[in-house]
Order: sequence, then structure tokens, then C-alpha cells
Amino acid sequence: MGAAALILLAALAAQAPAAGDPADIIETCLSCHEDPSLELTLPSGETLSLTVAREGFMTSVHGGRQSCLDCHTGMDEFPHPALSARTRREFRVASYEACKQCHFNNYTRTLDSAHAAALSRGDVNAPTCVDCHGSHDIRPPGEPRSRISLTCGQCHAGVSAQYATSAHGQALADHANTDVPVCTDCHESHAIEGATSGNWRTRSPDLCGSCHGDAALMEKYGLSTAVHRTYLTEFHGMTASLDATKGDGRTMSALCTDCHGVHDIPRASGEQAAVMRANLANTCRSCHPGATDSFPDAWLSHWEPSWTHAPLVYAVQWVYWVLIPFIIGGLLLQILLHVWRVVVNR
Amino acid sequence: MTTMLQRFSTRQRVEHFVVMILFTTLCVTGLPQKYFQADWAAAIINALGGISAVRWVHRVAGILFTIVTAVHLVVVIAGAVSGRMTLTLVVNRQDFVDAMTTLRYYLGLSNEQARFGRFDYRQKFEYWGMIMGSLIVILTGLVLIYPIEVARWLPGQVIPAAKAAHSGEGLLAFLTIIVWHIYNAHLNPDVFPFDKTIFTGQISEARMKHEHPLELEGRKR
Repeated sequence: MGAAALILLAALAAQAPAAGDPADIIETCLSCHEDPSLELTLPSGETLSLTVAREGFMTSVHGGRQSCLDCHTGMDEFPHPALSARTRREFRVASYEACKQCHFNNYTRTLDSAHAAALSRGDVNAPTCVDCHGSHDIRPPGEPRSRISLTCGQCHAGVSAQYATSAHGQALADHANTDVPVCTDCHESHAIEGATSGNWRTRSPDLCGSCHGDAALMEKYGLSTAVHRTYLTEFHGMTASLDATKGDGRTMSALCTDCHGVHDIPRASGEQAAVMRANLANTCRSCHPGATDSFPDAWLSHWEPSWTHAPLVYAVQWVYWVLIPFIIGGLLLQILLHVWRVVVNR
Repeated sequence: MTTMLQRFSTRQRVEHFVVMILFTTLCVTGLPQKYFQADWAAAIINALGGISAVRWVHRVAGILFTIVTAVHLVVVIAGAVSGRMTLTLVVNRQDFVDAMTTLRYYLGLSNEQARFGRFDYRQKFEYWGMIMGSLIVILTGLVLIYPIEVARWLPGQVIPAAKAAHSGEGLLAFLTIIVWHIYNAHLNPDVFPFDKTIFTGQISEARMKHEHPLELEGRKR
């Protein structure tokens, strides 16, 4: 019975109805590939499991829509053509080319990524589509949203752990917050740029500002968009944004992340505020050696000057708001009177 | 033939020329820093080689301006103490009387015109405005060049306050020059298009009689 079925299947497979009903093809393939003992020994000595979990595939985004042969092209021949991969990793890297047949946009965007650059440098451990998305059991990558940082954390464990302790990571974990950024909100998903380049650094205030400058979004959490505005108008932000326009990725100026941290950004309110305040002089000293404890007061902690915050600065501003129109207006008046008199005299 | 009289010494003419160059440099490199978010300001900053270059030029010009101001004050104070210089720019009661007389004349309330000495009240106003303004921008400018040192002795908030003052005073100075000085030295019908006296040192007797009659009488006495 078993032998007869195998012969029948081989005959079916040899006819390879690639354009046939996906369900039929899947059943044909699974009739062998559901066998948990089905495996292949690669030239490296590693074993490659050839088993596909029916449930995992059928409930994936492709389940019931795509047939096995859509990705595993050429496998309609039986016996199957020999694999050229010598290791499991090589097999995996070679397989991801299959995705571009349908997902061409994301595939090409990935080619601009730091991951693709690492791969083309010969780093076979650089992730390909299937390393992040899975292979047979592909599910929407952002469901739930917290899954994204776990996906990145498979390789970037240190950063992922830091993120989990940050204000953003905690809100994500504790409240399933849908507004806080996960990895891909800052780094993007496919065209993931190397985050150590100068241009990435000089652009980073815009990145933070895309949320922290959004009044409607910040209002939900009682946060002020003044943090972004005040940064951009004071010395550091001014220098950084002017340097960014040069496009050479070079700035000596402190960016958001230089004071707040990158992945481990703590909450700047509540108990943390006092900690940050106490550390402020040290934070300043990392760029301004010799700064004394009164130096941080030169920085208005993102407050706009008012009678309660930085009253001296506010008073000086007021003096000039009054003085400039008064003096210039007076001078203009005197000029106009003089001109008028000259005209009258003629 | 017009009789020309000497009004400004070589030192005064050189001083004006140097201040003119430095003031222009400071405005060109300073105002774009104040309005850096405007497109025109960013264009100037980039044209001059970026913000670091602009700050560097501004600071060098500022230090040179500080030296010129210090030299001026030393010369004036030394001149006054030794008695070799008459302090013709000191503000006195007569200046307020002259201002009121001029105002009444402009308004057509009287036909009497104030008769001025070597410097009229407007020139004194501009001089003292410049001296006070210079002291403010020099002191606040030094605070901004040396914030760490300043914060060693003074509260940190002095630094952003100095920036606000420097920025406001700079704008005030710029507008005063644009509005007042350009009018008095160029657009004023009495001197249009260009009062050359501060460059040549010479003024015609007719103009001196019209603008500084008391000085002319003093010279002839």
C-alpha cells in the first residue's frame, strides 16, 4: 500500500501541476514532508530537517493561498534536484531569494540595509527575510507589536534588553502602548540603515521630534512639545540642525541621545527627574570638562523662559521686547517729523 | 570757492572706518545666528562655511571690536584727565532744551531752530547709545565665549540671560544703524546722498554754520 502510494505520488509530482489548485499541491507535498523524520545530511555534516508543520503553514499569512511550489520553484521535479547548499546557513540564505518574486519592494529596500551590506561582505550570519519573518509559519510581524523588539532581540540581545528598561520599552510591555516606538519605528523595517553613521546621528533629533514635536500625540501623555522646540532653538540644537544641512554627518553638538541615552532612555518625569537633575553636571562634563555644579543652570531644562522658569532670562527678553520698538519707533518718528518739516519749508 | 574746515582727526577717521568694518562683520555673522531658522540666515551661514566658521569670525571680530572700544575709552579718559581733550560729547541740560526746541520746530509750533555746538543732541544720543550698547555686547559676548569660567563665579542662568541680552542689544544696534545712522549720514536732505566728513575729515564752512553754529563761533573767537 505504502509503496503503491509513493509510486502514485512520484507520478503526480513528475507531472508537476504548478498552476494547479494550491490545496492539491500542498497535500501532495505534505504527504511526504509531514513526516517528522524526513531530513537531509548536508556536506557540512549538519542535518537539515525537511519536515513542515501542517498547522503552522496553514495558519500562516500564506496558508491556503500560496502553494509550496510558489516558493520552492523547481521542486515539482521528482526526484527533487540536488541542493547546492553545503551548510544549513547557506541553504537559508539561498532560500530568501524566493521572497522577492512577490515582495519585490521590500526585497529591494532590504538591499539598502546594513544587513544586506553585511551579507555582501560575506557575513553569512547577516539576517535575511526568513530570519525575521520565519519561513513556513510566517505571521504578521507586528502582531502583537511587542513581538517586533523580540524579533530584533534574537540577534541584538543587549540592545533589546536595554530597550525593555527604557520609558518606551516599559510602556510597551506594561500597557501594550501602541504609540511608543518599537525598534522599527526608529530604525525602519527593511531599509535598516547602520545607526553608527554620522548622518544617522545628525538626523536623530528629527527622529525624536517626529513624535515629541507632535502636539496631539504628546498631549495624550501629558508631555510637552516644548522639549523639541526648545532644543532646536538653543545652542546645541541650533548647531546640530545647521551642521545637519551640510550633509557630511559631522557635528560636535549634543543631540537628544547624548543626554537622554539611546535605547535605555529613562522617563524624564517623576522620580527619574531628580536622578537626571542630580546627574546633570556629570552629563555636561562629558563634553564640557571643568564645568562646575552651577553650569547646568545655563541649560533651561527644556523650559521656555517665564517668570517661574529662568526669570532672569525672561526679564532680559522683556526689556528688549519693550526697548527695541520704543527706541526704533522714536527714531522713526523723529525722522518722519524732520522730513515733514523739510517738505513744509519748501 | 568753499572754505573747508577740519572736523575729525586722523585717529577719529581711522577709528570710524575700523568700527564700520567690524560692525558690518558682526552684523553679517551675528544676525544669521539670531535668526538661524530662517532660510536667508541658513543661506548666509552655509555661504560663509558653516556655523562653526561663522562663530569663529564673529568672535574674532568681537574681540577686535573690544580692543577698539577699550582703546577709545583709554584715549578719552586719558585725554580728559590730562586736560588735553575737551569732552564735547558729554550730555548736558542744553541738549534737552535743544531737543524740545527742535521738536517744537518740527511740529511747526515755533520757527526757532536750536543752535548746536560741536555735537548736537542726536549725535550725542547715538554716541552714548553706541558706548552703552558696546559695553553690553562686549560683556555678554565674553560670557558667551567663556561660559564654563563664568559659571564658576556666577549662577548658570546668567549665561542664557547674557545670550538674550547680546541678541537683543545686537538687533537694537543693527536697527539703530539702519534707521538712524543711514538716515543722518545718507538720506537726510541736508547731506544726501553721502556725508563724507567722517572719511575726509573736512566739512564746509557753510555746513558747519548751518549744523554746528556754536562751534564755528567758538573757532572764530
